[in-house]
Amino acid sequence: MECKVREIANVSLIQVLGRIDHTTAKAFEDALSPHMAGCTGEDKKLLLDFSGVTFISSAGLRVLMIAAKRCRKQNGKMVLAALQPVIQEVFQISRFDTVFEIFPTVRAALEAISPAAASAYDGQ
Amino acid sequence: MTASNGAMSTTNTASLTVPAQVESVTQCTEFVAACAMAAGFPLARTHELELVVEEVLVNICKYAYVDAPGEMELRCTKTDSQHLILEFIDTGKPFNILTLPPPDLAVDLDQRQVGGLGVPLVRALVDTATYRREGNRNILRLSVQLPC
Repeated sequence: MECKVREIANVSLIQVLGRIDHTTAKAFEDALSPHMAGCTGEDKKLLLDFSGVTFISSAGLRVLMIAAKRCRKQNGKMVLAALQPVIQEVFQISRFDTVFEIFPTVRAALEAISPAAASAYDGQ
Repeated sequence: MTASNGAMSTTNTASLTVPAQVESVTQCTEFVAACAMAAGFPLARTHELELVVEEVLVNICKYAYVDAPGEMELRCTKTDSQHLILEFIDTGKPFNILTLPPPDLAVDLDQRQVGGLGVPLVRALVDTATYRREGNRNILRLSVQLPC
């Protein structure tokens, strides 16, 4: 599991790569945690690009659930984009598709949460 | 015929015995992935079976052994051209994963339970699941069908 972060306007775009299972969930949590602190209101929003995630187990879902609860508590915004079919299925079974806003592409997510970030993304 | 600690080749059953600890997850998922691929399962379905194996093993470690040392045997049997049987055998305390209460998935985020998603995932991703206690052994038998 690996996370690559790009700051685009008021959005932290976190590209997650690989497997999020019981052996990597802690690393995923640690990678996500620093970006959670500033995720409040309009100042900073989080977008998780899941196009590179090939596997997620309940350990990974647990990390996402904690992050979602924290976001709501601090009035933050975290959305996901580009889930592979096998990840979509896990989200449907666990009803995580009702916990998060999920977009088909990174571009679509940026357009929805920050037009400024979408414009900056197009210009890169 | 049984192949021990190896994926199926020309035999119908393969068996892997590992310490019942979370650190064994990768070894078990790789084992089942090899069995599933050899049985003709597509990659997406193979990933689902890896997920099932991880969830079951983690629960056995947590509830059957309660973090005490022990072993778990994982058997993978191709019964016909369409079905694969996964059997999880341990000698821990009596533990039936199928009786664990599922979390309520229909409630609002504030009320959603953080964990407990392993069992709903296992139930959704296999075709049949049965548990029996034989002597001092827990035996969980999961049947999965090759996608059409």
